Amino acid sequence: MKIALMGNPNVGKSTVFNALTGSNQQVGNWAGKTVERKSGVIQRANEQIELIDLPGTYSLTAYSQEEIVTREYILREKPDVVMALVDASNIERNLYLVLQILELAPRVVIGLNMMDLAKSAGIKILSNRLAQVLNVPVVEIVAAKGQGVEEFLSEAIRVGNLKKDPLRDEVPYPEELERRIQAMEHLLADTIWATKYPLRWLAIKRLERDSEIGQTWRSIPQNSKRSKNNDSCCDSGDSIKYVLQDTDTLPGEDLLQAYEVEGWSKDKFEMTVADAKYQYISKILPEFRINEGPIKRTWTDRLDEWILSPIWGYPIMLIILSVVFWFSFVASAPLGGAVSDGMAWAADMIVGLMQKVQIPVAIQSLVRDGIFAGVGAVLAFVPQIAIFFAFFSLMQDSGYLARAAFLGDRFMQLMGLHGKSFFSLVSGFGCNVPGIMATRTLEDPKDRLITMLINPLIPCVPRLGVMSAVVAAFFPGSLGAVIMISLLSLSMILVMFSAILLRRVVKQRERSAFVMELPLYHIPTLRNILLPTWQKTYSFLRRAWTFILVASIVVWVLSSYPQGVPMDETWAGKMGGWLTFIGQPLGFDWRIMVAIVFGFTAKETTLSTLGILYGVAADASQSIAQAMTGAMTPLGAYTFLVVYMLYIPCLASVVTTYKESHSIGWTSFGVVYNLLLSFIVGWLILHVGLFLGIQ
Amino acid sequence: MERFLQDVKPGEWARVEHIEGGGALRRRMMDMGIVPGVEIEVVRCAPFGGPLQIRLKGYYLAMRRGECAKIIVSVPEQSLLEPSLASR
Ligand SMILES: Nc1nc2c(ncn2[C@@H]2O[C@H](COP(=O)(O)OP(=O)(O)OP(=O)(O)O)[C@@H](O)[C@H]2O)c(=O)[nH]1
Ligand SMILES: [Mg+2]
Repeated sequence: MKIALMGNPNVGKSTVFNALTGSNQQVGNWAGKTVERKSGVIQRANEQIELIDLPGTYSLTAYSQEEIVTREYILREKPDVVMALVDASNIERNLYLVLQILELAPRVVIGLNMMDLAKSAGIKILSNRLAQVLNVPVVEIVAAKGQGVEEFLSEAIRVGNLKKDPLRDEVPYPEELERRIQAMEHLLADTIWATKYPLRWLAIKRLERDSEIGQTWRSIPQNSKRSKNNDSCCDSGDSIKYVLQDTDTLPGEDLLQAYEVEGWSKDKFEMTVADAKYQYISKILPEFRINEGPIKRTWTDRLDEWILSPIWGYPIMLIILSVVFWFSFVASAPLGGAVSDGMAWAADMIVGLMQKVQIPVAIQSLVRDGIFAGVGAVLAFVPQIAIFFAFFSLMQDSGYLARAAFLGDRFMQLMGLHGKSFFSLVSGFGCNVPGIMATRTLEDPKDRLITMLINPLIPCVPRLGVMSAVVAAFFPGSLGAVIMISLLSLSMILVMFSAILLRRVVKQRERSAFVMELPLYHIPTLRNILLPTWQKTYSFLRRAWTFILVASIVVWVLSSYPQGVPMDETWAGKMGGWLTFIGQPLGFDWRIMVAIVFGFTAKETTLSTLGILYGVAADASQSIAQAMTGAMTPLGAYTFLVVYMLYIPCLASVVTTYKESHSIGWTSFGVVYNLLLSFIVGWLILHVGLFLGIQ
Repeated sequence: MERFLQDVKPGEWARVEHIEGGGALRRRMMDMGIVPGVEIEVVRCAPFGGPLQIRLKGYYLAMRRGECAKIIVSVPEQSLLEPSLASR
């Protein structure tokens, strides 16, 4: 049985999905997190169920990419049951989509989520009355606490197993419209399309001249193994491609033309249908929604008075962001240092043991200079990653992120970016892959493209981790914080510069609307903070002992063979030798060039590679900090940091850019732009620094 | 009295009369519940010409001024409007 989760953005679909399937779909308190379908298989009684989490949508007439995913799924795959999730604290608008779903899908169960929020806002919903009025089963749930989720599913299974589609009341349309719908129904009743979709829905869509009506699509499942690949920081869902097989012309063209003459255009039909639905909702609303007592000022109102205040809003934002970055990347340095020292100590212990049992020297070197130096370097910034994600989840899940987008919109506007680009850019700090995918919420393809191309300039957490490790080595104490802030500011400035530049390169005629929901604040649950933090950290750790381990061994081999030659004549040395002509103007030696090239596979690899290349040379266990500080001046290190922060994020992000933009041209443009920008800015910094006499 | 939503002062209620311009923008607004007849409260404006925060049907929206300039509203006598209609 196929069951799909549908609903407005931010109503808790992914929360329900996670609770039922044990997946880790991104959850947070702003609209538009899920941008790709995701399926999970569960077993209940002796029923195998495929549950599908879909992106949220405000209606089934979709415009932006993620809404199209939902629409295509529901029209083309036709799930057996739709679990329509509704935010009880915002039921009036939510029901609009529900009415649309009811017209299209024969078997629907409504889940009334966020009952806790509704209650605290003084709203009482009589769910059994709602069920009576719409003639659809309704289940009350609090998904965040897991309450009612299982009942919701079993109700869906029950409805799915009914012998016949349940009967349902229809939205009453005004007489003038109703007459026209019926005329169209009459014409369509004998087509095969009437067997595929409910007749009434078909007739309305035909009147609205929906282009999908009459088309047959065949799906080509994309190889989803690829997306679960180890080297990507995150799961990007189960995408599906469709190819158009057939287009039927449906009857009714004459009728449509006649209506057009009467003034009933496509737009008028859409408007009237929507209007009738809203009116119907206002009519039935008092039957099941009771406002208890006078309007309460909610927590949200009180907090927003400060957080969105014209005076205090920006200072508060600055404080919050500083706290997050300070704790994640500056204050956590001693923790990273401790891990690093611990690894060095462990390496010595193990190598000591190996010496005792006389294991060959090559293997000892592999363990110490390859595995421990490489993987250890990466493990050293696991604390940073964990702390950052904990804060990030907190900001996401509380609802602050949407507020920051509200406050930051003015700057987005100055850069010529769409307001929702903010979420894409902020997600980029977590990982650029979901950051690039988050551009799907932008309706205009040009807005999307620009945001996609500047996203890589946002340093993702692995990059920030590497950077903070290098910063901690070269600039101890509070100087480190200043350096880190200067780097982040530089990336912001370049994001701004690039956005303005790209606006000129990418031609755009019309700007799309920015309308964004500001959700109520939620008290983040411990589960919502710790679980994603753990999952992210774990996937990072897993990468360390799979991908980074392999990469470390490869680098160790490359830098140790042919045996007995000086370092710069090993394979890695030779490879670096070819690259020095690029590195020279920046003052980079061949090791750094090799590390930068390897960093393309995954950004942490740069650090593990540096660890090995310097470690092998040093021929002793030492922390990467000691190894590197001997080999570079602080100015050189700063130049390296800048280049490292700005050049192409990683293979996965390039692949994602290609998948999302469908353009080799723009993808290569992005890669070249990043490379050029990083080297030019790096060169400028080095030479200005040298000129000023900074060492 | 007819005005653009953009010109409604924070704290005031207004009723949507119609939405200028067609196509995607109007449909997007329609999907979010901004249809003629709906009551909207302007809650606050972000500083430096940033977006407006509005409230309708019991929820909050942020909208840029450019978009607000397309929504034509009538501002009734404030005391006549029943705020509970649109607030939670
Ligand atoms: N208070 C409360 N919060 C909830 C409840 N269910 C979910 N949430 C929170 O609501 C927010 C949105 O949940 P998601 O599961 O991400 O919503 P979604 O529908 O998948 O959203 P999109 O993918 O953006 O469409 C998260 O912050 C959840 O923690 C609930 O029953 N009560
Ligand atoms: Mg979701």
